[in-house]
Amino acid sequence: MPPGLDALRHIVVLMMENRSFDHMLGSVPGIGGIDDAGGFSNPDTTGASANPQPLAAFQGQLQPDPDHHFPAVDLQIFGGNTAPGREANMQGFVKSYYNQQQNVGHSREILYYFKQSDLPVLTTLAQEFAVLNRWFASIPGPTICNRAFAHYGTSFGRVDMNLVYINEPFKSIYDRMINATPKHTSKLYYYDTASSTMEITNLLQNQPQLFGTYDQFLSDCQNGTLPDYSFVEPNYSDHDTDTGEEVANDQHPDHNIQAGEAFIASVYTAIKGNADLWASTVLLIVYDEHGGIFDHVPPPPCTPDQFTASANDTGTTQPFAFDRLGVRVPAILVSPWIPKGKVVSRVFDHASIPATVTKWFLGDYSPRSPRETSADVFIEPNVAPVDPARNLLSLDVMRTDCPDFE
Amino acid sequence: MTVIKVPQPPPSAYDPNRPVSSLLKMQLEHLFEAEKRLPSRYRSEVYVNAIKTEGEASNYIRKVTEAIHQAHGDAERARRKPKRRRGIEIAAMADGGGTKTGKKKSIKQKISGKKKQS
Repeated sequence: MPPGLDALRHIVVLMMENRSFDHMLGSVPGIGGIDDAGGFSNPDTTGASANPQPLAAFQGQLQPDPDHHFPAVDLQIFGGNTAPGREANMQGFVKSYYNQQQNVGHSREILYYFKQSDLPVLTTLAQEFAVLNRWFASIPGPTICNRAFAHYGTSFGRVDMNLVYINEPFKSIYDRMINATPKHTSKLYYYDTASSTMEITNLLQNQPQLFGTYDQFLSDCQNGTLPDYSFVEPNYSDHDTDTGEEVANDQHPDHNIQAGEAFIASVYTAIKGNADLWASTVLLIVYDEHGGIFDHVPPPPCTPDQFTASANDTGTTQPFAFDRLGVRVPAILVSPWIPKGKVVSRVFDHASIPATVTKWFLGDYSPRSPRETSADVFIEPNVAPVDPARNLLSLDVMRTDCPDFE
Repeated sequence: MTVIKVPQPPPSAYDPNRPVSSLLKMQLEHLFEAEKRLPSRYRSEVYVNAIKTEGEASNYIRKVTEAIHQAHGDAERARRKPKRRRGIEIAAMADGGGTKTGKKKSIKQKISGKKKQS
């Protein structure tokens, strides 16, 4: 068996907020970003062509928060075409942002992206490990329903921000883990109690023992007590604590991008700081959805879920069968067993998270949603024969040249 | 080994008076729903609709999150509290010291004993 898979004991997922692939990684050469694509533009509302530019700011630029609810994302992806048989063309980002302020110049800023030097943490990790450059949000819609796919493999038919997931047919990945035979361990680490958890309040309400704080994550890394599967949440708000001021580090507009960079580095450093843990852990850094910000790659169709959102729920004139993915988001897989500079162009979405964790730790498991069972996995099950073309932890010897952050 | 410098956000990045985003509003709503299911003694007295800033939101979120943990912790402790073993109780009563009257007396004695001490 590949030694990287033999060594693997822990999967950690860090899910950030509301930035698209091109916005964050578009300037990194050779990974399928906007600088590689060239020639992409959007019409503004005067009919003039607006081009992507590397002028994104750390804070203060994306005000108001770009609309990323279902109807707005439909406009962004299809450019306003509602005809049957329409094709995704990614031509509606500027039009959509114009709708919020009726300011043509301001609307063109939705095509701004970061220079590589602006984001030393994310771009370094993308170049040092594996960038999964066709990871799409699970739904062309907002945060809550997208995050649901990461926890349940489905949003149970929802395309909005509402949340009441009780007595649903599919268990959360955490329930699956802790109730498995033999038992597995799993924890959700929110930043602190003042930031708490997003989307899975129902789990917090009924199973608070599943949750810990980021401080506990740090000490679990240090002490070698990290569970088999961990999901890490960033800080969603600026707030005071007993020890000082906490700056939001989720990177949700209009929160500071550099605070998120520092947080990503902190998670990486905590894992790498324990040699045993570093050798036996895979870290996935991924964003929940694009936040209304441009990307040039049309989301592909996908296996329909067993749920359908009504036209009333979608806010468009059409129902939605969960048969198309959302906009592309940054996704980076980190492990010392991954060769430097790996680019993976298979299609993933957030349903790939419970799909991978389930297959790796539990093997066959049912019931799972149609979307999850059809989602690709980013870690191959360690069952012979392992396909070397799909195995990302493919090195025979663990790397010792991985970067450090300070 | 490459060492990458991580720039820190400027102090001006911190603004707890920033208006709550639609995302935080939803988080507040979700936690408010969770809070309504808590026994009344664990509920905050915060009027959620009056929350306007991130600082105010995080204060409420902290209260509800801690209350949820507290309520579950208390319930768990109550479940684990050793139950009185009826067999031993009956045996104690058979020894003659377990009548209701005797128990009351002993409590009174304890109280009077404390008074004496003070």
